[in-house]
Amino acid sequence: MELEALHEIHSEVRALGAQIVVITPELERYTRALHKKLNLSFDILTDLHLKVAEQFRLVFTLPDYLRELYKSFGSTLDRFNDEPEYRLPIPARYVIDKGSIIRAADLNADYTIRPEPSETLRQLRTLGGTAAD
Amino acid sequence: MASLQERLNEFKKSFESGAPPYNAPREAIETMHRATAELKATGIVERALKVGDHAPGFTLFNQDHVQVNSADLLRQGPLVVSFFRGHW
Repeated sequence: MELEALHEIHSEVRALGAQIVVITPELERYTRALHKKLNLSFDILTDLHLKVAEQFRLVFTLPDYLRELYKSFGSTLDRFNDEPEYRLPIPARYVIDKGSIIRAADLNADYTIRPEPSETLRQLRTLGGTAAD
Repeated sequence: MASLQERLNEFKKSFESGAPPYNAPREAIETMHRATAELKATGIVERALKVGDHAPGFTLFNQDHVQVNSADLLRQGPLVVSFFRGHW
């Protein structure tokens, strides 16, 4: 759902002179299928073993009891992410300016809450003149 | 069009009702709530990079196995980076 919602704002993001990338620990064979299925116009980047998410300090380890529950649903991160330790990033969206400074950060420890794309657009607009130059 | 969070909430409501098509057991839902509460309590959100911090650069493969470099993207303009846990 989140990727579809980002897809809906992508043309407006481009019109503001900005770009979107999605970073996920999922392996390329899954991102390729997902990208195709959703017909996305931005890239999904594979952050193998969460190296980049670690630098943004977003990584946590699923507790054992949750690991077992997900496995019972058929969600095995060893397979999707080559992540036998069952680590994941918390949902996070950043707006980064041309000088590599973070200008907006939407984070939540609750994975059922995701940053609103309309809010991301608003944040990009507040970068104002710097967005277009 | 409903906002993303409205759509997510609709899904959550349906999932947590325990009704079909998900038939999620009450126990499973409680386990998930417990894990979220525990994660919040770790202070991970407060520790993560925030507004004003320097964003680390990255070079990663995209879905077509093409390398994408954040510095190249930032030369063209601002960048929205969304971390996504996966489709599963």
